[in-house]
Amino acid sequence: MKSCLVVDDSRVIRMVARKILEELSFEVIEAEDGQVAIDVCKSKLPDSVLLDWNMPVMNGIEFLLALRKMPGGTDVPVVFCTTENDMDHIQKAIGSGASEYIMKPFDSEIIQSKFSQVGLI
Amino acid sequence: MDDLLNEFLTEATENMDVLDVELVKLEQNPDDLELLGNIFRLVHTIKGTCGFLGLPRLESVAHAGENVLGKIRDGDIAVTPTAVSLVLQCLDQIKLLLVELEEKEQETEGEDAELIAQLNAFAESGGEPADSSPSEAEDDVVAAAEMEAASTEDDIDENSVEAAVPTATKAGENKAPPAVAKKSERKKAVSADGAKDTSVASQSIRVNVDLLENLMTMISELVLTRNQLMQLLRNETESDFTTPLQRLSHVTTELQEGVMKTRMQPIGNAWSKLPRIVRHLSLELGKKIDLQVIGAETELDRQVLELIKDPLTHMVRNSADHGIEMPDERHASGKPVTGTITLNAYHEGGHIIIDISDDGKGLNTEKIKEKALTNGLVSETDLEKLTLQQIQQFVFNAGLSTANAVTSVSGRGVGMDVVKTNIEKIGGTVELKSVEGQGTTFNIKIPLTLATVSALLIECAGERFAIPQISVVELVLASANSEHKIENIQGTPVLRLRNRLLPLVSLQNSLKIESLADEAHSDEMFIVVVQVGTYTFGIVVDRVFGTEKIVVKPVAPVLRQIPLFSGNTILGDGSVILILDPNGIAAESGDLSLPTVAAADAGESVEGGFDDYVSNSDRDSLIEILEQSITAAENRL
Repeated sequence: MKSCLVVDDSRVIRMVARKILEELSFEVIEAEDGQVAIDVCKSKLPDSVLLDWNMPVMNGIEFLLALRKMPGGTDVPVVFCTTENDMDHIQKAIGSGASEYIMKPFDSEIIQSKFSQVGLI
Repeated sequence: MDDLLNEFLTEATENMDVLDVELVKLEQNPDDLELLGNIFRLVHTIKGTCGFLGLPRLESVAHAGENVLGKIRDGDIAVTPTAVSLVLQCLDQIKLLLVELEEKEQETEGEDAELIAQLNAFAESGGEPADSSPSEAEDDVVAAAEMEAASTEDDIDENSVEAAVPTATKAGENKAPPAVAKKSERKKAVSADGAKDTSVASQSIRVNVDLLENLMTMISELVLTRNQLMQLLRNETESDFTTPLQRLSHVTTELQEGVMKTRMQPIGNAWSKLPRIVRHLSLELGKKIDLQVIGAETELDRQVLELIKDPLTHMVRNSADHGIEMPDERHASGKPVTGTITLNAYHEGGHIIIDISDDGKGLNTEKIKEKALTNGLVSETDLEKLTLQQIQQFVFNAGLSTANAVTSVSGRGVGMDVVKTNIEKIGGTVELKSVEGQGTTFNIKIPLTLATVSALLIECAGERFAIPQISVVELVLASANSEHKIENIQGTPVLRLRNRLLPLVSLQNSLKIESLADEAHSDEMFIVVVQVGTYTFGIVVDRVFGTEKIVVKPVAPVLRQIPLFSGNTILGDGSVILILDPNGIAAESGDLSLPTVAAADAGESVEGGFDDYVSNSDRDSLIEILEQSITAAENRL
């Protein structure tokens, strides 16, 4: 079973993501901000990450940059997921090392398609 | 209700609480970018989650608010009171929608177009208020929304609280300290909080309150059973059970402490709405008020927390309305134009002390006297003898408000008496000190928890009773030869204690129980000196056993109309005993407390200069005072 680290400060969104990902047979790990996510990754790298942008303590971009610097961190597919839909944001996310970019609100279909695009499903 | 919706409501409500506090903070520190970022993010999160639940109405309101906040963050709009008021108005609308959502479990039809248009116009114009002045229009909306939101938020709180201790601490740090630290300190504090958050937040879970309450009840039963077992063990000289029972006892104690801790919440949770309320009041009253909070992380039982929430809010309202003067008045008397209300909470000997002080005009003693006379609370001759402190305590009487004009905030003549009653109901006390022209301080003392209390066990006519330790000042053994003598003044027994005369109440008489035949009248008497408010008196009992932690059970309904008892408990030996209520005893024994005998008992009229060697004339005049007081007390009965 592959694991997915869901990083979002909203419990509601983590709940939604967990439901969708568990249906797709992922083991879900939750983190409520970038710093917690880093702590999780330090103990064991997940197989994939679903990442929010705007979070307290450490935002998604900062986490992504830190993850890519960790040993083996470049191999983890990261799907960025925010409400921002302008090109600036998308380019910044991809430039920081995101593998895919999806919009909130997401649903099972979009998650499935994006995760299969990065070779997880 | 749908799990997801339920979670959304809880999360959004928590966020709204934080937002209220942070926005008011922002108004005081418009340059704090971190704070601004946090505010923006919280609104953004609410908007973002709406999409998942299909809540377009809520989403559009949140979006409009986020829009304005975005402009503020980008520096296009300055943090002005108008801007903050407008955003607060938007938050209130979100709260209303959340309340409706909780009731109906779906979005209702409704029009937010006007508010959204106002927000958008404000954002577009770069901070120019729309044609109608939003800050004025806002007030009513805010007040109404505040009330509704407040009532329903409480309901939500009832259903689930953050259970684990680390989370409770975290919540306190996030919400609580609004206005204390200087800006630089606050920035540091924010980042420090952040660091702490990360390490603890992932280790906490949410638990239903009922579950915790249930655990607490069962632990109480376990403690009682443990006490019974330990009692049995004491009668055995040698027993195989000794070691395991001691271990059981030890573990039970730890278990009890652990469960108690899960119920603890920082007092800051009860304060989170205050900055918003004070802001609203200062706008409405045209005063400048700074709210300082100290010790917001001080923890106490959530049950106690719930019960003091309203009295605290009321007292802060009072301080803002009656205490703090208008800016020009303050300026004229040489004070800083901005008045300060300070809340300070700290632990002291198993209790929590909360001080609410303001640097306002203080109590107007003359006005209180006048009111007390008009309302027949005291006679003119008695009034002469009262100390300043005693006169000030009149504000706790029903129907005594010194506010000349009845404002919409307070001054309707109900309030402080209710505050006092509510605090006393949970075994607390409230006192006040006020210096005219310098301000007023309320001193509230409340127990950490209502689940167990320290109580003094005593015996009277062969029956055991418990007296809550919080009221007990000291124990005195009086006899004919000792320096503490019981004297009779016009048939009323009083205790001469360190040159003070203390009225005595015989518990046996109060309870109307028959003395045991063999209980010959010895000249030794145990006197429990208790304090109720500012009134001190002695309760005469037959024996004193010692202090014990007891689990309080409510009084059975059949006994509830007897004011002498506040509850009952089961002791280690399995016997059920009643807990006495010193308030009730004081009232039952003829309301000695106000104001007549209190005058004689008060330090100032008796102490200075009176000792065993006083001249006869001094002594006579003292007795005269006492006699007058007692006669007055009798007349009023």
